[in-house]
Amino acid sequence: MSQHLLALVDVNSFYVSCERAFDPTLAGRPVLVLSNNDGCAVAMSAEAKELGITVGAPWFKLAPTAQQRGLVARSSNYELYGDMSHRFLQVIGEHSHEVEKYSIDEAFAGYGGPLQGAGLWAEGIRRDISERLSLPVGIGVGRTKTLAKLANLAAKRVPGMQGVCVWDGLDAEYREWVMTRLPVQQIWGVGPRSAKKLAALGLTTAAALRDSDAQLIRRQLGVTMMRTVLELRGQPCIQLEEEREFRDSLVFSRSFSTPVSTREIMAQVMASYAQRACTRLNSRSTEAKTLTSWAMTSQFNSAAKDSPSATLSLPAPTNDPVLLTRAAQALLPRITEGTRYTKAGITLTDLSPQGVQPSFDLFAEPQQDRGLGPLLQQVREKSGTDAIGMGRGGLRTAAEWEMRREMMSPRYTTRWEEMLEVHAR
Amino acid sequence: MSILDIRAVPVTAPALEVPMMPTAVQAGFPSPALDFVHESINLQEHLVYDPPATFIARVSGDSMVGAGISHGDQLLIHKGTRPRDGDVVIAVLDGQFTVKRLRLTGARIRLEAANPEYPDIEIPELSELSIWGVAYMCLHGLR
Repeated sequence: MSQHLLALVDVNSFYVSCERAFDPTLAGRPVLVLSNNDGCAVAMSAEAKELGITVGAPWFKLAPTAQQRGLVARSSNYELYGDMSHRFLQVIGEHSHEVEKYSIDEAFAGYGGPLQGAGLWAEGIRRDISERLSLPVGIGVGRTKTLAKLANLAAKRVPGMQGVCVWDGLDAEYREWVMTRLPVQQIWGVGPRSAKKLAALGLTTAAALRDSDAQLIRRQLGVTMMRTVLELRGQPCIQLEEEREFRDSLVFSRSFSTPVSTREIMAQVMASYAQRACTRLNSRSTEAKTLTSWAMTSQFNSAAKDSPSATLSLPAPTNDPVLLTRAAQALLPRITEGTRYTKAGITLTDLSPQGVQPSFDLFAEPQQDRGLGPLLQQVREKSGTDAIGMGRGGLRTAAEWEMRREMMSPRYTTRWEEMLEVHAR
Repeated sequence: MSILDIRAVPVTAPALEVPMMPTAVQAGFPSPALDFVHESINLQEHLVYDPPATFIARVSGDSMVGAGISHGDQLLIHKGTRPRDGDVVIAVLDGQFTVKRLRLTGARIRLEAANPEYPDIEIPELSELSIWGVAYMCLHGLR
């Protein structure tokens, strides 16, 4: 019998796995990926965990003994991880018609075949991602998102499962054994605060929560927790939000009242247009992966025709006004001083619905806060489009270079000049 | 005729310039050229047939010149495809990505250079062979 099942596919130690995919010397070694400015560990390989290193460990403390312990650190390489994440989703999309990106290294995928085939299907995805992207993944399959998450946990923890676990394929006794031992805080959607409240009700295990009074849970902890209870019983409550590949684009362009002929003024134009394009993205709850900034001279002026443009692939889909404003500045070096440009614009392509979770939360720069876009928009709605904006002073094109990333691997897949090197020796 | 292979067509092509005709046609005769408008050839579409699993690498060294692969050329590499006898592969040797021609004859496995100055490498066991990907195209600049 066919049943609608959901898989949660996630990449093991995603950042480290991306580094390893392009550097064979990292195989089997303890590897760390550091936060912005090489401050602290944000991701680590299993071997590094075995050395007792945890997320947040400051690098300056680890550095002195790193060599002696064989520990390798890498600065965070946003572009590489973002590109590999995109490829990861594409491969999953070849196996399922319903794919929801959940975070940079996790996605839900729907399966509509027979239950007996689910294990093979999931194994196929696992092998495909491993062979085509060199990324190790774990896959949990269940009737609900919550059960898929739970199965994913089992897929990783239970050695015999080798990365794939179909919850409904396990025998009932074993499922019960897991449920009665799994602490509630390990369940998707149960945070430390809810866990405390549940403990006060005497609910400390997955089994206890599943068998609790759903109405009581609703009254005490709210509707979200009640959904978790129902999901644990196998009743889908949290829908799959399909990621549709929007093929459309968003263009913001204007002709100038008087021609623009300096980079300085063009910088202001780009900053302003990027922010307005951003407002539109925000109002549609979409994010863009590619930004093209362009300018052109009058089509009637054949003497000095010029139509420069610059296309940037962003590290991850975003609607962040700071990032987009910065990206729009890429046009400036292509502007010829003295040429009279009469029109300019910003084109955003590769649009997708806003992610469920911030993709780069660990790496987020302070000003990359998700709240900024909506906030700017609120102010604009209240006080007019020009009431608030980010000034030229804050828009340095080279902000990335200010960051300390001394141990960054090449951006193999997004920069021509940094591509992988292969030896013919 | 039979269908040997069906693949998803990549939908995420890079931003390339596309000639666009004005959609609002002015009064009078419609331009006959309108019937012949077609997008410019998109190299990505023709050279990269499996976008998520395609990677590009720059060649360093001259051990493959006999195969038409020179120092500084770029190789398009397909990961996850099964390597066959005669394929130019990216093998992992001593922790380095190395370009070689794979030779599978009977039980013997060899990684050949395409330059007499470099020795071939005999691989005793299949399990000791680590292939990262298969190079299927070489971009060789002529100027």
